[in-house]
Amino acid sequence: MSTIPYKHKMAAHCESGAVTSLLNNAGLDISEPLVFGISSGIFFGYFHKMKSFAFPTFIVRNKPGSIRTNLAKRLGIKFHTEKFRNPDEGMKRLDELLEKNIPVAVQVDFFYMDYLPEWERVHINVHFIVVVGKTGPKYIVSDSYFPNLVELESSSLRKARFAGGSMSPQGFLFYPEYIPKEIDYKKAILKGTKKACFFMLKIPIPFVGIKGIRMFAKKIVEWPSFARDTEHLSHEIMKINILLEDQGTGGAGFRFMYATFLQQASVILGKPEWSELSKEMMEIGDGWREISLFAARIGKNRELGPERLKELGTMLNGRADVEERFFRRLRNSI
Amino acid sequence: MKEKDGTIDCPQQQVILFVEKEDGKYEPIQTGSYITKNFLDDYELKRRHLEESLKKQVLSGEVSPIYYYMILEDLTLSELSARAGIRKGKVKKHLEAAHFSDIPQETLQLYADVFNITVPDMLKILVVTSADSTNLNTGS
Repeated sequence: MSTIPYKHKMAAHCESGAVTSLLNNAGLDISEPLVFGISSGIFFGYFHKMKSFAFPTFIVRNKPGSIRTNLAKRLGIKFHTEKFRNPDEGMKRLDELLEKNIPVAVQVDFFYMDYLPEWERVHINVHFIVVVGKTGPKYIVSDSYFPNLVELESSSLRKARFAGGSMSPQGFLFYPEYIPKEIDYKKAILKGTKKACFFMLKIPIPFVGIKGIRMFAKKIVEWPSFARDTEHLSHEIMKINILLEDQGTGGAGFRFMYATFLQQASVILGKPEWSELSKEMMEIGDGWREISLFAARIGKNRELGPERLKELGTMLNGRADVEERFFRRLRNSI
Repeated sequence: MKEKDGTIDCPQQQVILFVEKEDGKYEPIQTGSYITKNFLDDYELKRRHLEESLKKQVLSGEVSPIYYYMILEDLTLSELSARAGIRKGKVKKHLEAAHFSDIPQETLQLYADVFNITVPDMLKILVVTSADSTNLNTGS
């Protein structure tokens, strides 16, 4: 089996990147920010104590999988999806699809992507890659986080697709099987934005949206009680930078990509006020970037006393305030 | 963020960053990771310290190699149990040095698969090196 001709492109985020790249390769010209915005990707959730996380953490995007499902619903695209109980069956099915020259997105545990440097790889079951071919025991993979197409051992892909634990992939795979000729982007953009505003402003869950940012700001001073020692705390504080910047966000916890979505949407909708809102979102993102840099610096310098953590909390509360005003204005502009 | 502020030279780790171009348009650029460029040495230092401290715990019989890898790979007890397909109560036992030698070979393999290492590699940390002997000198 050889490689299917496939235009590989790095992307900000693995799921929006995989969906965008599959659609682009199938002939639909859509940008990653539009995919992200239409699928209501922007989000905030803080998790102080959870069985599956060894330390408090946060997310800056909506539920894994929902970029694909929301986009499909709003644009009328149909994705073929499959899950498998049996790993042999799951691998066989992938091979069959590749034989038919169909590039396939698969859900994997990021840890087994051994072409990435060791310091990047963590156990997280919601990474998405596109498999575009197989040569001998190796698969050819298009990963949004890697500059080129890359090879992955069959045994690693198998482990990654069938890892257990929270949000286990269960061999999940998908590919687009129907793309409508005419797409009403305007309606989809408004719907996606409305839902994002709901998640950020109204959802009655205390650790989600603006409330989630405020909870993070309040709880960060408790982080030392979860740490084994100062170096562990430093590692976790520096991970704030990684989660906001490096783990597939396009910078500033997706805020820069969302600003880009609003700029593109303002042209599609003919709404000049959204162009202003996009500038505002870019500035909001600059504030998140300051938080990232501050977290990296205090972590590196081991300045992790209550004063510094309170300072970090104040910066986070600042983001909660500006985002609350921003999403209200955005909601009112729909 | 302006393009010039987002450009970071770090070939080891490339990322996509959305920036404002000179014409005011927001677009993605391929650039380097800020934290990898500036603080990778600090990450490696902390990782080394953690490995040393865990190895010391293993060699002094406080914990098992399973515990060593669970902590290194940032897994919780429930997560490891779900990933390896072994009951939580059993995993808890296997984290203790005293019960490590009772673990059957097949079960060790289940753990090794999760940790993405071989069983012999997992057992390697039980070998005391001269450097370890110095570290293990507790003054007794």
